[in-house]
Amino acid sequence: MASHPANTGQDRDHANPPGVIAAFLFPALLVYAALTALPVLRTFYNSTHLVVPNRPSEWIGFTHYAKLWTDAIFWKAIWNTLTWAAVAPVLEVAVATLLALCLYAKVPFSRFLRVAWFTPVLMSYVVVGILWMWIYNYEWGALNTMLRAVGLGSLAQPWLGHPDTALASLIAVTTWMWTGFNMVVILAAMSSLPSEVLEAAELDNCGWLAKLWYVILPLIRPTLLNLIVLSFIGKMKIFDLVWVTTQGNPLWATETVSTYVYKRAFQWSTFDLGYPSAIAVIWFFIVLAGVLGLTALFRQQDKLEY
Amino acid sequence: MTLSRTVGALALAAGVCAAPAVQAQELTLWSHWADQTAKVEFVESAARAFEQANPGVTIKINWYQKEPLYAALKTALTAGQGPDIFYAEPNQTEYMENGLVLDLKSKLDWNNIEPWAIKVWGYEDGVYGFPLEAWTVETYVNLALAEKAGVEIPVEGVEGAAFVDAVKKIAAAGITPMAQGVADRPYPGAFLTHEILVKKLGVDDYASLLKGGDVKWTDPRVREALDYAKQIIDAGAFPPSISSIKLGEAHRYFHTSPGAVMLQMGSFYPSRAFASPDEGGQPKDFRLSISNGPVPEGAACPKCKTIAVGGSFVVNAASEHADLAAAFLNSMATPEMGNKWLEANLVQTGIKADPSQITGDKAAYLQMLQAANEGASYTFGIPVQQMQGNPREVFTQTVNQAFPSGIIGVDEVIDMMNGAY
Repeated sequence: MASHPANTGQDRDHANPPGVIAAFLFPALLVYAALTALPVLRTFYNSTHLVVPNRPSEWIGFTHYAKLWTDAIFWKAIWNTLTWAAVAPVLEVAVATLLALCLYAKVPFSRFLRVAWFTPVLMSYVVVGILWMWIYNYEWGALNTMLRAVGLGSLAQPWLGHPDTALASLIAVTTWMWTGFNMVVILAAMSSLPSEVLEAAELDNCGWLAKLWYVILPLIRPTLLNLIVLSFIGKMKIFDLVWVTTQGNPLWATETVSTYVYKRAFQWSTFDLGYPSAIAVIWFFIVLAGVLGLTALFRQQDKLEY
Repeated sequence: MTLSRTVGALALAAGVCAAPAVQAQELTLWSHWADQTAKVEFVESAARAFEQANPGVTIKINWYQKEPLYAALKTALTAGQGPDIFYAEPNQTEYMENGLVLDLKSKLDWNNIEPWAIKVWGYEDGVYGFPLEAWTVETYVNLALAEKAGVEIPVEGVEGAAFVDAVKKIAAAGITPMAQGVADRPYPGAFLTHEILVKKLGVDDYASLLKGGDVKWTDPRVREALDYAKQIIDAGAFPPSISSIKLGEAHRYFHTSPGAVMLQMGSFYPSRAFASPDEGGQPKDFRLSISNGPVPEGAACPKCKTIAVGGSFVVNAASEHADLAAAFLNSMATPEMGNKWLEANLVQTGIKADPSQITGDKAAYLQMLQAANEGASYTFGIPVQQMQGNPREVFTQTVNQAFPSGIIGVDEVIDMMNGAY
C-alpha cells in the first residue's frame, strides 16, 4: 500500500498552472476593476469630498450624508422605490404563477398565449413607456376609452398625472412587462417536477388545489424566491420607465432613488457629484441589506421546511 | 562676400521656414438643436463662411439633444477637456463659478448685441456667452375658435375678471380655452402663473421673489396673483390631460386637433407650427394672433413679460484656440446675421436685428410679434432659468405641473415654495 501525497500536489499544480489561471482571469478582472470596482470606489470618495473642476478635491466628511436627513425629496424617493420593490415582485410572481399554471394545464391556445404573454419583456423600457403613456392618456387612451365605453367614465382620469394613481400605474406597467418572463421560468420549473411525486399525489386522491398547494408550490418555491429577489433588485434600480413616462412627476409621486440621483447629478446646476454620490452610497447599502435580508429569510424558511 | 551670401541664404531659409503656407487649425463645437433644421443650417452656414474666410481653419460641429449634450459636457469639462465652443444657457452659472468658460467681454463686438442679452450673460465683471437665441412668452390666439366661442382676446390682453369670464365662456362652448402640456418640459405649465406674477409685482419684486430675496411667497400680492391664476385654472382653462401632453402635442392641440382658443408658449412657436401641416404644422389658412394674455387687477406692470435668452455659445476656458473661437462667434454677431437668424427661425435673437427689413411671407408674423412686444418691459429668463437647486425643483413640480393640473391650490403652492428656499 504505497501512498504518494507529494505526487498528488504536483499533479494538481500541473493541472492548474497559476500562470494560465492568471492569464484567463486577468482580462475579466481588469474589466471588472475598471468598470465596476473603480467607479464604486470613486463614488465612495466623491460622497465625502467636494469635487469641482479646476480645484483640488476637498474633504468635507459626512456633510452630504447629514444633509440627506432633511431632504424631503430623498425620503419620498426612498419610499416610492421601496414600495415598488415590495409590491411589484409579489404581483409579478403571483400573476406569473397563475399564468404558468394555465399553460401547465394546457389550456386551449397555450402555445399562442405563451408567446403573447412573454412578448412584453422583449421590448425596451422606452418602448413600453411610450406605449403605456398612450394607454393611460386621459382623452384618447385605451384605458379611459374602455372605462367610458362600459359606463364607468367617472373613473377615467389622467393616470400618470395624479399623485394618487401615478405610482400604482407604473407598478402595473412593470408587472405587465415582467410577468411573462417570470411565467416562462416558473413553467420551466413546473415542467421539470418529478413525475413520480405528482403521480403519488394523484394516487393519494389529492385534489387539484391540494396538489398545487402541497406539492407543486413547495417544489418550485426556490424558483419563486429567486424570481422575487431578482425582481426586487430590478425595482430598486428602476430608472428608464420613470424617466420616459413621468420623470418623477407629479409632485414626486413617482420619483425613485435612481431618478433623483440623476437629477441631482446632471440637472441641478452644479459640477459637484458629492451629494448624488452620497445618495448612491446609502442606496447601495440599503439594496445590499435588502438582498441579504431576503436571502437569509428564504434560507431560514428552507431550513424549517426541509 | 561669402559671409554675406551665407547670411543671405540663412535669412532666406529662415524666411521660408517662418512663413509656412497656412497653419491648419480645427475648432470643435458641441451644440444642442440636433432636430431643429433651421438652426443647424444657420450655424453650419456660418461655420462654412468662416472657413472660407480663414483658409486652413475647419469647424467640426457635433449636434446633440440637450440632455445628452449637458451630460457629455459635464464629463468632458470636469476632465479638463471638451470642445472649443459649446452650447449653454444663461442659467448655467456653474460654468462661470468654476472658471470653465472664457470671459468674452473684450473679445466680442458687443455693439452688435442687444443690451439686455449682454446683461443676461453678465457674471461678476465679465460677459460669458454669445446670445444667439432669445424668445418671449406669448399668448397665441386661434382667431377662428375665439370667434366661434364668441370671445375677443385683443393684443393688449384682457384684464382681471374679464379674462376669467372669457375662459368660462369658451369652456361652456365646449372648446378648450388654453392648450398646454407639461409632460416633457419643466416650464410651460407655469407660463400662466409667472406671467401674472411678473405683471402683478413688476420685474424687480418678481426677481426678488424667484431668487429668495425680500419678496416672499407669503406676500399678499403673490397670493392675489396666485388666486387669480387659480380662478382661471378652475374656470377650466386647461385640458384635463395637461400632465400627459408634451410640448409639441400642445402646439397641435392648439391649432389643429381638437383646437384651443389660446396657447401660452415661447415665441419659438413657429419652429413647430410653421412646418407644413403634414409635418404637424398649423393649417395653411390658420388665423393667428398674439395677445398680452391675462392681466391681473392692480398690476404693477401690466406690460411686463418674460424674455428668455435660450441657446447661446460659450468658449471653453481650456481651449487652445480661444481667439479663433471668439473670432468665429464675432462672425455671427452682425446685423446681417441677426436678420438671417430671424428669417430662418422666426424667433428673436440677442444679435441686433431689424425685423422691418424682412419681407415675404414671414414678414407679417414678425411684425405681429413686434407689435405684441411694443412697449413691453422684460424680466430676463423664465423662472427655471432664474432659480437654482431645490427652489427650481419645487417650482417645476408645483407651479409648472400640480397647480395648473388642479392637484394643489394656492395655499399648497405658497407653503411648498416658501419651504423650498
